Amino acid sequence: MREPVVRGAGLVAALAYAAVIAWLYATQPQTVAQMTGGLASVVGAYQIDQQAFDDGLRFFRAGQFDEARAALARADAAERDARTQFYIAYAFYRQGWGRLYHDDALFAKGLAAVDKAIALAPAGRLVVDDADLQMRSADELRAELQRGLTREPSDFNPLKVFRTRK
Amino acid sequence: MSAVREAIVLPLLFLTIALLAGARIGAQVALVPPSLFSLILATMLIAALVRGGAFAPERLLHASRSTVANANGAVVLFALFLATAQILAMLTPATGLPLLFVDIFLFVTLLNTLVAMPDRVRLLRSLAVTLISALLLKFVVLASLSAPAASRTSRLLAALFDAATFGSITQDAQSPAAGYLAFAAIAMYLVALALLQPPGSPGSRPPRDELEAASGMQSLGA
Repeated sequence: MREPVVRGAGLVAALAYAAVIAWLYATQPQTVAQMTGGLASVVGAYQIDQQAFDDGLRFFRAGQFDEARAALARADAAERDARTQFYIAYAFYRQGWGRLYHDDALFAKGLAAVDKAIALAPAGRLVVDDADLQMRSADELRAELQRGLTREPSDFNPLKVFRTRK
Repeated sequence: MSAVREAIVLPLLFLTIALLAGARIGAQVALVPPSLFSLILATMLIAALVRGGAFAPERLLHASRSTVANANGAVVLFALFLATAQILAMLTPATGLPLLFVDIFLFVTLLNTLVAMPDRVRLLRSLAVTLISALLLKFVVLASLSAPAASRTSRLLAALFDAATFGSITQDAQSPAAGYLAFAAIAMYLVALALLQPPGSPGSRPPRDELEAASGMQSLGA
């Protein structure tokens, strides 16, 4: 093989490998699925498992939130799809919502998931067109989760028992 | 140095070392960038390699070489620096007095190497001893002191040791895989350093034994 070809190919391979390593340092994937999915999304080839997503949506609408999250997590194993992460966050919200008090642990997980969804959405704007949801944007969901985690005097307002879950 | 070695083998080897040495295996795997001090130590180590004849940068970057060849050389230089910094960061304990002592140990050892100007073979031997010593200290001695104790007696002894040293010695518990990974990274690093400048290649200094033998023969002849 001619020397310039070897040098050119080596340069491209080394730069590509260095870029992958820099990407690994920046994103810190924890599983092989996250790593392969992340690399696939970089080249625009990432797709969620549509069947698992549909299952997750069905469980979500039936109020089976643990099952919904399991199916949605399977659908987006690499955690690279903003819409799926939005539904996961919404499932945490609906499960953690209570008339008298909210489950802070579930709300905190919901907040982390919706932050992930916002980070993945183009320009951070995510709107989901779903008639079943009262909050269709990630910003609304995030604010609602954030409010649920904040302690304030209005939490002790007895009229709050009449509020409804969104 | 052959084109394959310079363009493919060395960059991929050094980048792999940088990746392996940057991995911290705990409850989660984290990739940690090198500390500022490890960058300084890496600069000193590379200077020692140049002075000792184990690495000749002018053979990688020179006006007489083609643009692509110089680009290959620049990649090797960058990858060597990154791998060296990550190896030194990997061998440094994370916290407490061990961090301070190992940093001082590495600094003084590298400074001594830089000043002593050993030939290539002695430099690589000395570097191997330094790296293996630091590996043993962090991944064997400190890891055994910091490992979760199995029995009640060992837990009591560990608690007493921790109290006596004000918690300044023990480190966060490490996964057993971390030591193996560190050993692999160091072995690869030493192999890659040996490949940087094969003995007898233009620019490498002959071993001191040969120089001394040659000067002895000259004096005999005189």
